[in-house]
Amino acid sequence: MADRNPIKVGILFSETGVTSAIETSLLFGTLLAVEEVNEAGGIDGREIVPVRYDPRSDSNEYRQLAERLVSVDGVRVIFGCYMSSTRKAVIPVVERWSSILFYPTLYEGFEFSNNVIYTGAVPNQNSVQLADYMTSVFGPRVYMIGSNYIYPRESNRIMEDFVRERTDGDILGERYLDFSATEDDFKRIITEVKILQPDFIFSTVVGNATRLLYRAYADAGIDPAKMAIASLTTTEVEIAQMGADICAGHITSAPYFQSVDSELNKRCVKNYFRRFDDAPPPNACWEAAYFQVHLFANAMRSCGSDEFDALMPSLLGSQILAPQGRVQLDPGNHHAWLYPRIGRANAAGQFTIVRESAQSVSPDPYLVKHSLEGELRAPCFRRA
Amino acid sequence: MNRGFEGGRASRHQGGGVHVLQNIRTLRVCVFHPNNADGDELMRQLHRIGCLAQAFWPPPSAPPPETDLVFIALYPDLLHQDYAWCGEKDAPPVIAVVNYESPITIDKVLRVGARGLITAPVRSFGMLSSMVLALETVRELKKSQSRVARLEEKLKGARTISAAQNILFMLRGVTRDEAYKLIRDQAMSKRVTVEEIASAIVSADAILSQK
Repeated sequence: MADRNPIKVGILFSETGVTSAIETSLLFGTLLAVEEVNEAGGIDGREIVPVRYDPRSDSNEYRQLAERLVSVDGVRVIFGCYMSSTRKAVIPVVERWSSILFYPTLYEGFEFSNNVIYTGAVPNQNSVQLADYMTSVFGPRVYMIGSNYIYPRESNRIMEDFVRERTDGDILGERYLDFSATEDDFKRIITEVKILQPDFIFSTVVGNATRLLYRAYADAGIDPAKMAIASLTTTEVEIAQMGADICAGHITSAPYFQSVDSELNKRCVKNYFRRFDDAPPPNACWEAAYFQVHLFANAMRSCGSDEFDALMPSLLGSQILAPQGRVQLDPGNHHAWLYPRIGRANAAGQFTIVRESAQSVSPDPYLVKHSLEGELRAPCFRRA
Repeated sequence: MNRGFEGGRASRHQGGGVHVLQNIRTLRVCVFHPNNADGDELMRQLHRIGCLAQAFWPPPSAPPPETDLVFIALYPDLLHQDYAWCGEKDAPPVIAVVNYESPITIDKVLRVGARGLITAPVRSFGMLSSMVLALETVRELKKSQSRVARLEEKLKGARTISAAQNILFMLRGVTRDEAYKLIRDQAMSKRVTVEEIASAIVSADAILSQK
């Protein structure tokens, strides 16, 4: 007789704490996909049952709850994590218990764990394209501001390499603010920006402080058409928190925006809002959180097991039609092939896509020295 | 605010490690490791990092010319392998791969002159850092070796000059300062170094004073 037992999967996204807003969208993206799989008959008739906890944006909680998921709840697969520090906390657990972490967030690269599937963008899939767009459209003189942790520093390193490749390229300022930074801190930054007059601002401010930066910018009356803020992490969620009026005109690079014009995406977004009232808006991480559940379900259907030794080979190299386009998992480095896009925030709180890649770009998480020629592959990165 | 502003941009491009990292994709790496799961993982991570990596087993008598870095498996059953080339002057740096910390293993690690070490079962994490550290250590070592060689040469020269000054003092009755000036004038007119003139005086004296 066929196995009819439900399949338990773990979910670890923070519903409270400093990154709760974006992580809640990841939670709902995951749940949406789980429901879709179940409504379509589950995995060969077996229902997916999510076991979810709130790690409260705290790495220690992530580690303890991951341990509990695999040792007490008996899950073999975890969907979760946003900040790198939380992923680093969970990796030893999944490695020890021979389970798999699906990680849907963009991050700085330079990592490979045999027990992780990475579905967010690495720098050669978002930073490079952003640097190219900003330096060619706005100019090569940049002011960099970020939250004080590893992702901003690595992102700025890459941005600096690009800026220095341009004639007259220059770094006019580079500031890091703690997560506890106040309105006054951001005001001071913007005052400096007004004096220095860079061609654009590169922001890697994350979490709830994002609002303070864009607000201070708007209050200073600077024109985004002349000196936009460029970001990798300001998504539809942050815009919804801040208000569309103070974000309009600013630029974000990501493999997905809610405005992606595909049938699948439209259907997916519609289902999402029908299913979840007052849910945070779809965004790049949300989309990865969504499609990685379907990648898992497909792989498990074809191998019939959620045990590591069966499931991982079945996952690697697999493809799926995601809202952003057809994505696939690289068998060599466990990261996903994605479609770089550049979006300009508009008055409706959405992104107008101003450039997009016609082909998916292979992930290269260990790339130290980026170059425009090598990666943009001009023919496929075209104006939308 | 003050804390937020600390750290800064000046530090980013300092240190040779950055140079090593920037060129990591042109690095030629040899792996002397049995063909098993650990050997495979080692090669896969080198490919992820993007090096030009080649695996050999059994190990050849020496790595191919132009090799920049060699990984060598030093497991208890492999310790009899001879890596004589490791002692040669321009041998590429070695990163040892070990699964024991026993004195015999550590002794072998020292014998091959390893500049870095990773542990088996092989994990991807830590390999890139070990590689950069090994290359950087060797670069620093070579720099100080050539500095030492230059200093030794200089010291030898200083001794010879001093000996030549003594000879002139004895033969010509000039002061040591005047002796130095004589040597330097000779060097200038003959367009050779002060050390060479001094050395000529010393050897001439040795010949003349033979009985």
